Amino acid sequence: MSETNQALTAEQAYQEDNDSALGFLKPQFHEEKFPTVQIWGYIGSLVLTFAAYLLVMNHVLPPVALLSVILTLAVIQAGLQLGVFMHLKEGRGLAWQLIPLYLVFLIAIGMVGMSIWIMLFKSGVS
Amino acid sequence: MSFSHLAHTLFPPSVRLPDILLIDVGLVLAGLGILGLLTKTRRWGWLWREWLTTVDHKKIAVMYMIAALVMLLRGGIDAEMLRAQLAAPGAHFMPASQYDEVFTTHGTIMIFFMAMPFIFALFNAVVPLMIGARDVAFPRLNAMSYWLFAAGAILFNLSFIIGGSPNAGWTGYPPYSELLFNPGPGENYYFLSLLIAGMGTTMTGINFLVTIVRMRAPGMTLMRMPLFIWSAMVTSALVLFAFPPLTVALAMSLFDRVFGSSFFTLAHGGMPMMYVNLFWLFGHPEVYILVIPLFGVFSEVVATFSKKQLFGYPIMVVSILAIMFLSYGTWVHHFFTMGAGPGVNVFFGLSTMLIAIPTGVKIFNWIFTMWGGRVQYTVAMLYQLAFIPTFVIGGATGVLLAVVPADYQFHNSYFLIAHFHNVIIGGTLFGLLSALYYWWPKMFGMKLNEQQGKWAFWLFFIGFWVTFTPQYLLGLKGMTRRIYTYPSGLGWHNLNVISTVGALIMGAGFVVLVFNLVWSYVYGERDLTGDPWDGRTLEWSLPSPVPEYNFARIPVVHSRDAWWDMKQKGQSLAALRPEDVHDIEMPKNSPIPFLLGVAFFVVGFGMTFKWWPIVIVGGLGIVLCLLFTGFDYDDHHHLQADTVRQSEASLGRLQG
Amino acid sequence: MSMPAADEHVQHLPIEFANEKESIKITGFWMFLVTDILIFASLFSTYAVMHNAVAMGPSSQQLFQMGPVMLETLLLLTSSFTIGLGIYAMRKGQARALIYWILLTILLGAGFVFTEIHDFVSFAAIHATWHTSAFLSAFDILVGTHGAHVTFGIFWAVTLLFQLKKRGITAQTARKVFTFSLYWHFLDIVWIFIYTFVYLNGRIG
Repeated sequence: MSETNQALTAEQAYQEDNDSALGFLKPQFHEEKFPTVQIWGYIGSLVLTFAAYLLVMNHVLPPVALLSVILTLAVIQAGLQLGVFMHLKEGRGLAWQLIPLYLVFLIAIGMVGMSIWIMLFKSGVS
Repeated sequence: MSFSHLAHTLFPPSVRLPDILLIDVGLVLAGLGILGLLTKTRRWGWLWREWLTTVDHKKIAVMYMIAALVMLLRGGIDAEMLRAQLAAPGAHFMPASQYDEVFTTHGTIMIFFMAMPFIFALFNAVVPLMIGARDVAFPRLNAMSYWLFAAGAILFNLSFIIGGSPNAGWTGYPPYSELLFNPGPGENYYFLSLLIAGMGTTMTGINFLVTIVRMRAPGMTLMRMPLFIWSAMVTSALVLFAFPPLTVALAMSLFDRVFGSSFFTLAHGGMPMMYVNLFWLFGHPEVYILVIPLFGVFSEVVATFSKKQLFGYPIMVVSILAIMFLSYGTWVHHFFTMGAGPGVNVFFGLSTMLIAIPTGVKIFNWIFTMWGGRVQYTVAMLYQLAFIPTFVIGGATGVLLAVVPADYQFHNSYFLIAHFHNVIIGGTLFGLLSALYYWWPKMFGMKLNEQQGKWAFWLFFIGFWVTFTPQYLLGLKGMTRRIYTYPSGLGWHNLNVISTVGALIMGAGFVVLVFNLVWSYVYGERDLTGDPWDGRTLEWSLPSPVPEYNFARIPVVHSRDAWWDMKQKGQSLAALRPEDVHDIEMPKNSPIPFLLGVAFFVVGFGMTFKWWPIVIVGGLGIVLCLLFTGFDYDDHHHLQADTVRQSEASLGRLQG
Repeated sequence: MSMPAADEHVQHLPIEFANEKESIKITGFWMFLVTDILIFASLFSTYAVMHNAVAMGPSSQQLFQMGPVMLETLLLLTSSFTIGLGIYAMRKGQARALIYWILLTILLGAGFVFTEIHDFVSFAAIHATWHTSAFLSAFDILVGTHGAHVTFGIFWAVTLLFQLKKRGITAQTARKVFTFSLYWHFLDIVWIFIYTFVYLNGRIG
């Protein structure tokens, strides 16, 4: 909401945009001297990818359980990308993107799950 | 391709009907007339500089509104034609094939090319002013949204003179929209124009959501936002969440028709019902996109003309959010008869009924706002008063439709037709007209004549009930939607005659409305105060019409109903001190949005007829537009403080 | 870089957030990603529903080869890492390093697209096109939309290189690079789900 374009600190920007009910949108920044987090993120994503691959190729579980496990691994990896690489919680003032993102995850899961549920109808009129 | 073949593709027998040829001649003459007038009055430069290249949200609002009113005329003529055909049993007012086209274009135009742009006209006209901003977050994107909408609308409306209109209903269900059963270009027009306009709509949703969360004036916390801003925010979020499934469904249908894929085809394992599923994943939230903004309008109108703060503001906010969430869990109620089984149908039946609760809460809040207030019966307020009973009855019949076993009876009957016209006309159209009368002075600088407005109002209101009450009964008597004609002796004749008479009354209402707009434009009372209704929100603190930069100084907000609060504290209109005015950064006009719209139109037109060279030319145009925007860093200019001071002084708003 | 002691706990906004207007564009880009997430959710829904509608064509178990898929996954994961390092370099003000990281990302992305096209051509050779069945239609549009996004991203990155070369790291170019990185990581996330829900799930049967 500031009209000025001078370099603000994160805290100043947050104070300007503050809305007491929205403390959970306070942005968090991460700075460091060496990209350790990125390297760990890359290693983590490789490990998760190959873990899923090995689980499936060796058929270690019955199909439905196996699918649940690898989907869980995929969700963890998505979280990793968002947190480590996409700087999910950063923003000037408030990290507004968090609200639509949380909503869209719910809606996306609902859309896929409900569509499967609705479209698995067997007969015309039951 | 031989000439006669080309002529047959562009002008098949379905567009060579006498009435359409007459319209062709009329359109050509009108077009030549406009071109001549522009040339004679040397207005081409003015048109280009002031309108085609503008990025000013207020001008874009005017363009949206003009487009919406023209589309209201087109959709209204379609409706009158449908009612004329149904007025007598066994009638042949028009051929059956044309009847299919007319009900398809009536529905599509009213939803996508009348209601949506009208709502965006209101957003553009009011949202930045209400939140104390100088423009929307992305002015150039805003203009692109408009020109994509315009490209889609023109493409869609071209269909009835070139190539033939779509005829598979406004929902475009396969298999009837499939190539095998519908080989003409009509459905291509439908899918392409909705895809192009839908892209623009999605961009508008992003734009206003970001504008509202990031660009509010200092002190305007979420719970101080006017309710229209809440409704605009929720609507924008709904657009974000609802349009992607539509885009996907339309694109897949288009690929089935143009590129030979097998998503919804009857052969190769395609699943037509998946289209229906995706369409209503969009379609149900769309219903709320159409009505929630008008909930916001009514909340502003009722508070202004009752001279009271809105009753139960926090509850209003909560209920609007509840409606937003619930609207995502109800889409199957549009196709209960698919036979998804009791589990699915019961779930979606119950979730549908739940929506009645937050909606009912809002109705009570509006009534309690009027309670004990000094209610002024302006035209805007009359539409509000008409909206409440109309919408309640429309909502109640909606709950009846949500009862799954009963829906097997009501499904696709005139009962359904009456229901959704009851909510869409009672909620959306009455709301739009209320907003038109309420914000017209702010947009154009003059008030609309109230006396004429009341005539139009009563014609619309009475005409509405005369049209649609008989349709409930017709539905219960078994008349199904999209029926071309019916034999005598079913007891449908008299009710259909009454319904047609009602449609004519509404048509008369439209004529009076247009007369009112034109008359007031010429003779109307100028609004010199900027605050003709003694308003409550920030847009009324500005002169009418609003200067290019909106606010010479960004206001600081201390409470809900910020302008009312300022007036109570005795802050006058001329409170601006010269030293408060600084240089203002304004977005620069750009031809890119207009050219992008042209390029998309070319792609759409080429693809409709599968003329690939034209598609490639249009595609290159799109790429060039995007490249140019990407490398263009010169997108704003500075308005000098002195210019602003002079402008404010000429409006009598500068001290000293 | 030495700072006064009092400022030690103060975090200055990264350069892409330094300008109010530019930072609003980042919020806007997140909103665009929200719509894109739902585009892909709709495509995943379609794929899930049509997975078994193979008509007379091949099923996922008969069709999918894990070799090229693992290569694509590795390329895309690595490119996500390299653009991540690019943003790290950008925040340190290292324009040259940023350009090299973007170049590397483009090459890895191009390798991905090349492998994918190769895969699709091999399907077409056994007449497994989207005309064959609803399953293949749904598969092609899901994977194809992702591939088209990656291709668009490559061209976008090329235009960024020109702008960085000309203007260096400014609030505006930094914002553009940052939104590109969001886009690229997002495509990586979508690919993780394609990899899991389409290819691995196809092996489970």
